[in-house]
Amino acid sequence: MNTLAQGGSRQPLKPPASLFIELLAKVVLAFAIGLAAAIALAGVVLLLAHEARADQLTDLTPMKPAQAQQGTLLLKSADGTRAAPAVGTVAEINVSGIVARAVVRQTYRNPFDAWLEGIYVFPLPENAAVDHLRMKIGERVIEGDIRERQAARAQYEQARTSGQRAALVEQERPNMFTTSVANIPPHGEVVVEIEYQQTLKYDAGSFSLRFPMVVGPRYIPGAPVGNQGRGWSPDTDQVADASRITPPVRDPAKHGVANPVKLKITLDAGVPLARLDSPYHPIVTRESEGGGRVIELAAGETPANKDFELKWTPAAGHAPQAALFTETSGGKQYALLIVMPPMQAAAAARLPREVIFVIDTSGSMSGASIAQAKEALELAIARLGEQDRFNVVEFNSYAQALYDDARPANAANREQAVRWVRRLEAQGGTEMALALNLALNGHENPGRIRQVIFLTDGSVGNEDALFSLIESKLGDSRLFTVGIGSAPNSYFMSKAAQSGRGTFTYIGQIDEVKEKMGQLFAKLESPVLKGIEIAWPGGVEAWPKRVPDLYLGEPIVVSAALDAALTGEIRIAGWRGDARWQTLLPAADARNGKGLGVLWAREKIQSLIDSQRSQRDGAPEEAVREAVLDIALAHHLVSKYTSLVAVDKTPARPQDAALQSGAVPTNLPEGWEYGKVFGELPQGATDSLWNLFAGSLTLLLAIGLFVTARHTPAALKRG
Amino acid sequence: MSALISREDWPLGVECAWPAVVAKAAKTAKTIPPLRESAHWSARWPVRWPARLLRLTAALALGAGLWQIGQGGYIQAKAWLSQALIGQAWARTLGGERHVKPWPWADTWPVARISVPDQGIERFVLAGANGRAIAFGPGHVFGTPLPGEDGNSVIGAHRDTHFAFLRALQPGAEIMVEKHDGGTRRYRVSGAEIVDKSEIRVLAQPSGETRLTLITCYPFDALRAGGPLRYVVTADAI
Repeated sequence: MNTLAQGGSRQPLKPPASLFIELLAKVVLAFAIGLAAAIALAGVVLLLAHEARADQLTDLTPMKPAQAQQGTLLLKSADGTRAAPAVGTVAEINVSGIVARAVVRQTYRNPFDAWLEGIYVFPLPENAAVDHLRMKIGERVIEGDIRERQAARAQYEQARTSGQRAALVEQERPNMFTTSVANIPPHGEVVVEIEYQQTLKYDAGSFSLRFPMVVGPRYIPGAPVGNQGRGWSPDTDQVADASRITPPVRDPAKHGVANPVKLKITLDAGVPLARLDSPYHPIVTRESEGGGRVIELAAGETPANKDFELKWTPAAGHAPQAALFTETSGGKQYALLIVMPPMQAAAAARLPREVIFVIDTSGSMSGASIAQAKEALELAIARLGEQDRFNVVEFNSYAQALYDDARPANAANREQAVRWVRRLEAQGGTEMALALNLALNGHENPGRIRQVIFLTDGSVGNEDALFSLIESKLGDSRLFTVGIGSAPNSYFMSKAAQSGRGTFTYIGQIDEVKEKMGQLFAKLESPVLKGIEIAWPGGVEAWPKRVPDLYLGEPIVVSAALDAALTGEIRIAGWRGDARWQTLLPAADARNGKGLGVLWAREKIQSLIDSQRSQRDGAPEEAVREAVLDIALAHHLVSKYTSLVAVDKTPARPQDAALQSGAVPTNLPEGWEYGKVFGELPQGATDSLWNLFAGSLTLLLAIGLFVTARHTPAALKRG
Repeated sequence: MSALISREDWPLGVECAWPAVVAKAAKTAKTIPPLRESAHWSARWPVRWPARLLRLTAALALGAGLWQIGQGGYIQAKAWLSQALIGQAWARTLGGERHVKPWPWADTWPVARISVPDQGIERFVLAGANGRAIAFGPGHVFGTPLPGEDGNSVIGAHRDTHFAFLRALQPGAEIMVEKHDGGTRRYRVSGAEIVDKSEIRVLAQPSGETRLTLITCYPFDALRAGGPLRYVVTADAI
């Protein structure tokens, strides 16, 4: 109106203003009538409601609604609200060729007035060899010692009670660890440094480094039996340590995200690179003094709620074909051998395949994950050939198959399967054993290749039982795991694939589905390299003892302890279909490596643990424990049976001051839905009452307006 | 009347607030003979619009009001009419069929019938407690045992449709459950509580206990859906 008045000629200034006011008055009047009616109506409703409510409260005594949890560091557990320290993590990772060495620095800060003990459950790569612990208090550094697990815990408990600052690192799963820190002073902090070494994944010509940041909430099957830890789940008859592997989880909608992580990766690839990228986090890269690159997060830091991945591809012609590293340490010689068998295109004539797709539709898959899994599955179904047979199994609290038995992959069946998949919903538990029982039948049939493709986030706590099930029911099937989502359980993915004599792949985002599934299809459709044998020139103890079958693009990686310095040649041979493949690697080509003894020991420990699971010749647990203890203690390694512990000699907490203890809450992995993971109460109301009320109100307004319009003076109606 | 009032001079057909038109009005002003003061603004300014605008607004309000009432009525009608169709599907289920869809495009099916003889209440429970299912009937929460089976069977429904009767349910009242195989189980209401929607303990499965947990929104008379509170009635198997 103002614009109009200014822009127009001078004459009509006053009249529109008065008209406007009059109109406004009428509208206000109409609203007032409506509002009065509404208030009267609402009053009646409330009056009735109040009566009804009073009536209903006479016999039933409702409890007070639970107070919404407030504050970022307070989380309710079974025994009340507890305080936990805040944890910040800085990871510095040095990559040299195919080996990475990392220092993970966790700072435990106590914002409270009380003395605190913090317990933090965190992930590391599934092949991490954790060999150092340092506790830093101000300027002082206390080195951690490796101890038998119970002895380490006893030493920690002792220090905790007597007021000494102490840190303990225990392994829950090969990719899940717990740090306990005792006696963090009020408003003070304790820094815990953990070091590990690992070999990186080299697949289809690319290296990848994964740094997991959060343990996704695991599904715990079985009946409750007790509580030894502080997790949200009790221990059960199927997962004896469930309470230790289920740290409290923050609901991002209520508490936001926490546990910031900073990353610094120094990459010395040794070859020129064609490509370097981080698919899930924006990064900044600069040249380092040593000629390598330094990679950091573009944002500086990120909440610990999804895996970080760095991938790099050597420039054409620089892809390593074979590499041999040796090292002498502690009077022993160690070697690391990597051989890349030549890539070979898919064989022209292929056996018909029977493909069983298994898709995880549990609550943890809800949101981004199920969308990725469905897209991958649709792609895989479309890829089937007319001579193939297939079936689809979905599982959550129950498992069901699309067909009773595998059916021909003709267009009609494929289309029906895709429609069925599209309708799947992610909800409920993760009863993986039911699905594996449906998918694996233990049968052998040389006339076809049977492949099981398993799409899941692996968020379960009963991994070992599942690996045993896979081994016992595999028959001549092969199991391929596809890890879905922002924080898949890498231990489950790799070990289930190993137990199923297949291979694993990860899909972390919807736009990776095509590329990653493409790589998987190439592996599924190309001949496998089998019967791999490595002849060393002298006496060696090499792990793994039997090199697994290799799929297209996968290298042979073997760690060895040598009786004497390496001379002569290493002969590597295998079969691809009917064709013999063989290569020679002169010992003279060996380069110096670092920390190879630790890698060898880690590989040996894993092989020993695996040997326990084998159904036919399963080693007795006590013998495995003894063997693992020997090797872990000798190489200063954290394992299922050994922990690192650091204790400050000087007592810090006065004996009259109490110590509070709390589990550090973890983030929900990005893209997950809290209610779908932990269950949610149904939403039990419609808007019908509101619709009726708002509708009546609007009708009243309409009547008011009509009445007003009718009473507009004739002079106003016609000019 | 002046040229300004003619339709052609309002190029957009909008009879107010268009600077371009006013600019034109200023330019053409010279050619217009001066008008009397009283007629001046009523002529220059489209005086039809207050009454028109009022009528237009009234018509819009009428439309919106009817639409809202229709919407509210539709929700209620859908909730109650569908129970009849679901009842037919339940009869076929009792006859031995599995997963009988009440109408061809349904993505749910009846899994149980619950009744409160004292109140003359009968409801057919559908599979799944998602919004799509409980628009038509009480929904069985996925992952909990089916009503009538051992364990804690959880059912959710709307407080203003199928579970409106919960507010009048007293401790000691009997609830009957009919299973798909025709078997029945009786439950007695032991209590009710109001909880926040995050209190997932009501979904828990305490070992050795068989009960029904009926959940709806609270308060019963809230106008809008989406509040954080739930009214939870527990009934133990007799």
